[in-house]
Amino acid sequence: MSLIHCHNLTKNYASKRALNQVNLSLEAGQPIALVGPNGAGKTTLFSLLCGYIQPSSGKVTLFGHPPGSQALLGKVASLPQDASLDPNLTIMTQLSLFARLQGFSNQDAEQEALRVLDLVGLVDNCNQKPTALSHGMGKRVSIAQALIGSPELVLLDEPTAGLDPANAKVIRHLVKSQSKNTTFVISSHNLDELEKLCDQVLYLDNGQLSQSVSMNDSQQQNYLTLTMSQCEVEVLVASISAMSDIITVEQKQDNEFIIQHDKANIEIALFTLFSEQGWQYKSLLKGRRLEEKLFS
Amino acid sequence: MNNSAPSQLQNTVIIASFEVKKILFNTRGLIAIAAFALVWLLILLYPIKDASEYLLDPSFRQLLVNLFGENSLNQLFSWKVAEMAIFWVIALFIFPLFSISVAADQFASDKSRGSFRFLTLRTSRDSLYFGRFCGSLLIQSILVLITMIATILLSVSRDPSLFLPALTSGVFASINIIIVLMPYTALMGILSLYANSSKQATIYAILLWAILFIISSFFSDHPSVIAALQWVLPGAQISQMINTHGLGSFMYAPMPLLQTLVLLTLGRLYMKRSAI
Repeated sequence: MSLIHCHNLTKNYASKRALNQVNLSLEAGQPIALVGPNGAGKTTLFSLLCGYIQPSSGKVTLFGHPPGSQALLGKVASLPQDASLDPNLTIMTQLSLFARLQGFSNQDAEQEALRVLDLVGLVDNCNQKPTALSHGMGKRVSIAQALIGSPELVLLDEPTAGLDPANAKVIRHLVKSQSKNTTFVISSHNLDELEKLCDQVLYLDNGQLSQSVSMNDSQQQNYLTLTMSQCEVEVLVASISAMSDIITVEQKQDNEFIIQHDKANIEIALFTLFSEQGWQYKSLLKGRRLEEKLFS
Repeated sequence: MNNSAPSQLQNTVIIASFEVKKILFNTRGLIAIAAFALVWLLILLYPIKDASEYLLDPSFRQLLVNLFGENSLNQLFSWKVAEMAIFWVIALFIFPLFSISVAADQFASDKSRGSFRFLTLRTSRDSLYFGRFCGSLLIQSILVLITMIATILLSVSRDPSLFLPALTSGVFASINIIIVLMPYTALMGILSLYANSSKQATIYAILLWAILFIISSFFSDHPSVIAALQWVLPGAQISQMINTHGLGSFMYAPMPLLQTLVLLTLGRLYMKRSAI
């Protein structure tokens, strides 16, 4: 049974078509990324998956059930964009209520609330009201609520937007650590972040699913992304191109190059070249960056 | 820690009790109750405390007859406990007004700030809808019971032998008032689903009642239209209920109960289909 299955999923807002006949089938496992420009339909797709809105046409199921059905309650969780907790009640009160609605007893509900707050490092703030928290802390609480009861599927809409780098790292670590039992679908504009977290990337553009790429496909093994500290670009490109089993060398940014090759362990030959020429490199990445895969 | 999937009914009870807890253990809720208590303190101290004198006074009785007609308020003078008779009249008019205010935020705030989205992945929309309705009605019932108990205490302080008749009248009156409040609460639930804030829901309620009042005035010469409108407009039976007493008041119960049933059905459909 598919984790998520969409068949010709379409959503119209008045005259605007936000999603256009999206067909999609995802299996449980490693985190899945959903990327696309602003207005591409990412939040609409998330809202349909959560049952917040109804599709104009087409069909969507999660674990074989339509969104919002009784069988999915507590099994699917979400960090909705722009949703905030009740400002008049403490975080503990609200998270405990959520846990109770998922079937926890009164006492267990409080323990569960503390457990998820601990995951995002906010146990000490449990008796505060949401208004007393910073934007970043509020976001972490919203992520914490999505982890109550260890759901099987968690949809995170822009989980690190507005977070400082340290807290964004905490969230990435959290997603990684929870991925064994939970499948995360993450919508974000931060491609570096998605590259670190996700194996599969879905690209939505203009309401249509235009690409689905895997970070671990076999083709990925034939590429290297080289970032140099300082070098003479023309000499570098010429030197690498002259090496055996090199197919292409393409300069992408100032000191970044994509090398397509046809040989295992080409890295050793490259390091030898750098040593001979006295060039310093910043990084050598196996494969291409997500940005490169999506937009090249 | 174990969590087994709770039933819809269990979640409805959790949501309803949480609504009551929110009012009773929250500063804003307590301020609202304090304001309510203050208004009722004034009502208890003045019209209700002096009720026995008013109702036994022939000139006051004549005034009411002149105002409302010979047999329109005759039942009011047959109450054994005068305080309870005045409580009945005032409560019939005051509580629906409170209801509009208390029940105006069943859904509006949650919907506009998006916190509905946290709830609907954990509980069905039915549990949420009926839980909020029951919670709101429970809060109003608590307020009715508190005022009823205060009125009993007031009448007993005048004459201790009135305890039993005051209790009996109080129980009948309270049940009837709660029935009267049901369609108000259900209607405010629908308006609260449509509005973006409790204030907006209250404004919609005022507009709705004003429009229905204008329509009924327009058709005042057509008794069949007026009779039909009475089944549509919550509270249309209140003026006739004043002149009832004890079990007799229940003859008007089918109208609000039916209105509640229809409004809850419509609200449930709206809740199921609305985007959140």
